Amino acid sequence: MKRQQSGMMRMERNWGLLFALPAILGLLIFTIGPITASFIFSLTDWTIGGQMSFIGLENYQTILTKDTTFSQSMFVTTYYALGSVPLGLTAAFIIALLLNQKVKGLSIFRTIYYLPTIVPSIANTMLWLWMFNPDFGLLNSLLESVGLPGSKWIYDESTAIPSLIMMSTWGIGNTVIIFLAGLQSVPTHLYEAAEVDGGNLWHKFFHITIPSMTPTIFFNLVMSLIGTFQAFNQAYVMTNGGPNNATLFYVFYLWRTAFTETKIGYASALAWILFFVIMVLTVLIFSTSKKWVHYEGGERS
Amino acid sequence: MTAMLTGLAACSGNAGEPVNPNAVELKFMYWGSNDEKQAMEKMIQSFNASHPNIRVKGEHVPGDYTTKINTLMAANQLPDIAYLGDSLTMKWASEGRLLDLSSYYDEYPELKNKLKSSYLYSEPGKSIGNYTALEVMQLFYNKELFTEAGVPVPPADPQKAWTWDEFLEIAKKLTKDQNGKHPGESGFDPKNIVQYGFAFGNDRSSWGPLLASNGGALTDKTGKKYTLNRPESVEVFQKLQDLVFKEHVAPDLIQQQDMPSNTIRLQTRKVAMVVDGTWSLLDFSNNKQLQWSIGVLPKLKEPKTMIVAGATVIFQSTKHPKEALEFYLYHNNPEKVDLFKSGLWMPIEEKYYTDEQAIQSWTNNAAHPPEFRQAGIEYARDYAIKPSTSTLRNWPDIGSKLTPGLDLIWTNKKTPQQALDELEPIIQPLLQGVYPDE
Repeated sequence: MKRQQSGMMRMERNWGLLFALPAILGLLIFTIGPITASFIFSLTDWTIGGQMSFIGLENYQTILTKDTTFSQSMFVTTYYALGSVPLGLTAAFIIALLLNQKVKGLSIFRTIYYLPTIVPSIANTMLWLWMFNPDFGLLNSLLESVGLPGSKWIYDESTAIPSLIMMSTWGIGNTVIIFLAGLQSVPTHLYEAAEVDGGNLWHKFFHITIPSMTPTIFFNLVMSLIGTFQAFNQAYVMTNGGPNNATLFYVFYLWRTAFTETKIGYASALAWILFFVIMVLTVLIFSTSKKWVHYEGGERS
Repeated sequence: MTAMLTGLAACSGNAGEPVNPNAVELKFMYWGSNDEKQAMEKMIQSFNASHPNIRVKGEHVPGDYTTKINTLMAANQLPDIAYLGDSLTMKWASEGRLLDLSSYYDEYPELKNKLKSSYLYSEPGKSIGNYTALEVMQLFYNKELFTEAGVPVPPADPQKAWTWDEFLEIAKKLTKDQNGKHPGESGFDPKNIVQYGFAFGNDRSSWGPLLASNGGALTDKTGKKYTLNRPESVEVFQKLQDLVFKEHVAPDLIQQQDMPSNTIRLQTRKVAMVVDGTWSLLDFSNNKQLQWSIGVLPKLKEPKTMIVAGATVIFQSTKHPKEALEFYLYHNNPEKVDLFKSGLWMPIEEKYYTDEQAIQSWTNNAAHPPEFRQAGIEYARDYAIKPSTSTLRNWPDIGSKLTPGLDLIWTNKKTPQQALDELEPIIQPLLQGVYPDE
């Protein structure tokens, strides 16, 4: 009887492993494998087509001490993140608040705000390319019609990144949905309690809504920070990193190093540095989170 | 082995086409427009029909070709034969990744009869082949606008090429604001120009020929010293910057973003002259509403143009070098491919530039106006230089650092002298010399 049971358990375990195998293999072959490979490549001088030799940390040393393009692309990406993350989060939060009201045709509005998210990113980018056109574009036409001077948008060094930050708010549909879900799970009894105590709309917002939403804000902050540090399409489709490297996003620089300049070793080192930067930022946000993120039912377990 | 080949051949065989089960299979990868794709497929079909022992499969890559072929190289899954950008060709040739065709000269003497300027050498005497076709930069123009303005059309004879001042004078007469005034006239409004005399792009194919014409260059002859900030080079960039921001005869690059292709620019009278490559003959001759022709570029010191062309290469990794060579010799033979007659390509074989009958065979058609004899054939044969993408080692790296620096000139943020001086410390450390020229 005992033997039979353990035989049964073994069979169940084997079947379980078998069913999990595709996922495990996928992880090993398509994630762990390439990650390990890229780390090894980052210690070599491999260019596509050329010979590979081991050069230790030289790539990292060059990047951190000599490569001015690296510092430029890091600056561009940070600038973009500092602009688009707060703006995106604020806009998404406000839209989520509005969508959380009981008004007519709510589902239509929800659809409208989510729609840009499902349009393919390249199509979005093409659309904005047309909007930014200094001569015939929608934006300058609008400005002109109210008597304001136009801008060169993405075609000028000084306005390129602000333009792309503005454009980034277009794709906040996912963030809005997550905020909306968060808003709908704020316990109504808290609002009722506030009302009993004579709290007005602002009290409710600042003392109930915001604190209850901090876990959601925290999540969205981390996700959009990671997302913006990986910006690529804008440079690839719209600006080619120009003018004068003003929109040279880090990942675009990384891609160009690998596939135009063929320096895979160097590009791998760039990738690991990006990984490290994102990790440090995430850890920083996590370490401050204890101070401002509130979980219902007290301390986070 | 035979069974495997049969399987492959059976999968790929078009219905009705006889398939030889023992045929050697070759993969050929190329880029290009839809027109080019069709011409290529036709050429591949006729090759397969006339070579029953070889079966070529074409793969047209419409998008980012460089990324694709780099990925295939990194993964060791290269085709047998492929188009390749000239800078990557030189890099991979010097790394031994491409078949050295010079070792086949005795067996295939046809490999030797090309124009000297079309050969690409990785080591002295060791050539991996030639440019696929010989494309040079020329001046395309709308004839009607010249007649209306009562000015002479650009000369086709390289010896009679306009000087810069002559060119500028004509460009001014062909530039009009919305009140019909020209640059230099009182009341001319540079903010509302409806027709420009000239338009040029920001890449090396626009400034490269002029640089050569003025005796300027990116580096000295050894390819180890940066010289783009010497007076003869700076002058070229200064003249181009002035065309846009001082003389107002050419649109700036932002305005060009809004403009359609060169044929449409000329057809809609937005621009009277453009600098473009020979390959545009195909597009121009397809445009029936435009009365166009070609001339030579203006000169600074001596008439010069530049080759802007890709190469076709056979990878060292191919298992069938001889069959690949057969196809290589066939794929850009003007007798087999109609891309020459349609204007997209110029031949690389010498006789098509010297032998009257051979010249007639590819130029006697609507895609080649009478001016082409001088502004195309003679210009390409006697006045064309190789671009630094073909001659300079480490170009991919140099090119991506050069473009942002030159942006400062094209957007009028800096004078050419300042911008080119600032590029010196960036470009100089990347210079690794030149490839041999024979």
